[in-house]
Amino acid sequence: MTERVINLKSFFEEARAGRLTGIRCGCCGELAIPPKEFCAGCGQRDWQPVPLAGTGAIVSFTVIRVAPRGRGGEVPYAVAVVKLDEGVSLLGRLVDTPLDTLSSGLRVRFRPLQLGGETAAGFGPA
Amino acid sequence: MRRVAVIGVGVTKFGKHDRTSAELFAAAAADAITDAEIAPSAIQALYFGNVTGGETERQLHMGPLAATLLGLPTVPTTRFENACATSHVAFRHAVMEIASGVSDVVLVGGAERVLNVPTESATEFFAYCSDASLEQPAGLTFPGVFALIARAHMDKYGTTEEQMAHVAVKNHRHGVLNPKAQFQKEISLETVLKSAYVADPLKLFDCCPFTDGGAALVLASENVARRHRRPIWVLGSHAATDTMFVHEKRDLSRVTATERAAQGAYRQAGKAPTDVDVVELHDCFTIAEIVATEGLGFFEPGTGGLAAEKGWTSLGGKLPVNPSGGLKAKGHPIGATGAAQIAEIVTQLRGEADRRQVDGARTGLTHTLGGNAATVVVSLFGRD
Repeated sequence: MTERVINLKSFFEEARAGRLTGIRCGCCGELAIPPKEFCAGCGQRDWQPVPLAGTGAIVSFTVIRVAPRGRGGEVPYAVAVVKLDEGVSLLGRLVDTPLDTLSSGLRVRFRPLQLGGETAAGFGPA
Repeated sequence: MRRVAVIGVGVTKFGKHDRTSAELFAAAAADAITDAEIAPSAIQALYFGNVTGGETERQLHMGPLAATLLGLPTVPTTRFENACATSHVAFRHAVMEIASGVSDVVLVGGAERVLNVPTESATEFFAYCSDASLEQPAGLTFPGVFALIARAHMDKYGTTEEQMAHVAVKNHRHGVLNPKAQFQKEISLETVLKSAYVADPLKLFDCCPFTDGGAALVLASENVARRHRRPIWVLGSHAATDTMFVHEKRDLSRVTATERAAQGAYRQAGKAPTDVDVVELHDCFTIAEIVATEGLGFFEPGTGGLAAEKGWTSLGGKLPVNPSGGLKAKGHPIGATGAAQIAEIVTQLRGEADRRQVDGARTGLTHTLGGNAATVVVSLFGRD
């Protein structure tokens, strides 16, 4: 049993520096985005941090045209679920990619973003 | 476990109100108690649902407030919040309070009021039901969540925007027959298809509206319900949870919580999908109805769009879905929705649904989904 190796704060501190970090279960090999206590796959509590390359392909995406309060100036913007090459997925904002070129399967690369004063996961061209 | 019946239902008109959430609930609850033909003092507990009251009305602790306005200030209350599945979750717990023998008569339901704030604020408050660490900072909205599901379904099965539009047209057609519905107006396929994108591929008319409203149910144990002239029995009620994170869903074209909740409810009731005569399900977006009709076992995966297109889910079709107009046309006051769906099924099984009656309905199903498809409750109902 290990202490929780990555919490939300450290995940985003690393992400802000451009380092995307996952956690791998030392028992069954399950890969996850932190934080987690028990592994949903095997029920163990034996995570180790692993660096993720940040490259992957779009699983599904949408172009948001009606935004929550405070984000109206950002529309239209795209949000996608990206399956990273290591096998785990992450949701993030797509940037620097023309909206009419988006498609499922498109290769993208992780990049940290500052949106509305918060760190957000982003993806740009691979 | 003891059998439980619904003996009273009450639903306010859905739409814009100048009454508070607690007032809306109290009005619906008074109607439900009157419908149940019991004395108000027979109520032993209140299970109350509301989601955004802290934001839209600066009002928490709404359970005792609702009980006070109802005129039952000493009834013990509990407030539930499970995003859009809130009052269906409350219902399941109320059923358990009676089934376990703790109480004989329980009042359950919920209310929501959001049309008193601007649309962008309501959009923000609803987005609080998604994850605040990753999803909200990226700007994900609820139409966005279901747009991700819609695109995955389109990619995997070839489901079309036109098939999704058929769901909206059908539910608006049903809504015309429901005097409580927010929208009682038919719309054309063209109107849906030409409406503006909210979150591609979902357009304005693929989305349910923001709604104010309240709904309430009186539940009773068998010994009490037997004295009632038209009890509708709870045959099964099952809840399922799935990962909160959209990025962790194994297959975005499915809602596995719906599948697991349905399996549990069917097993409890000793029923199969083919036994169901009428359905009220969670059509917060048109794609949500398509995916739900598959997950509930009515149609094979990938054929929910075809079912809508062919009219199989219309009144008069092989399995009428959302005769009330659904969330799409009846409206979606999120804290009240589950209870309102159950009220519709009870009305159908009593044979009192007037122009939207599904002839001879004996078994009904309700399905309510909360948040990022993370909470789902499915319940089955039958008449004597």
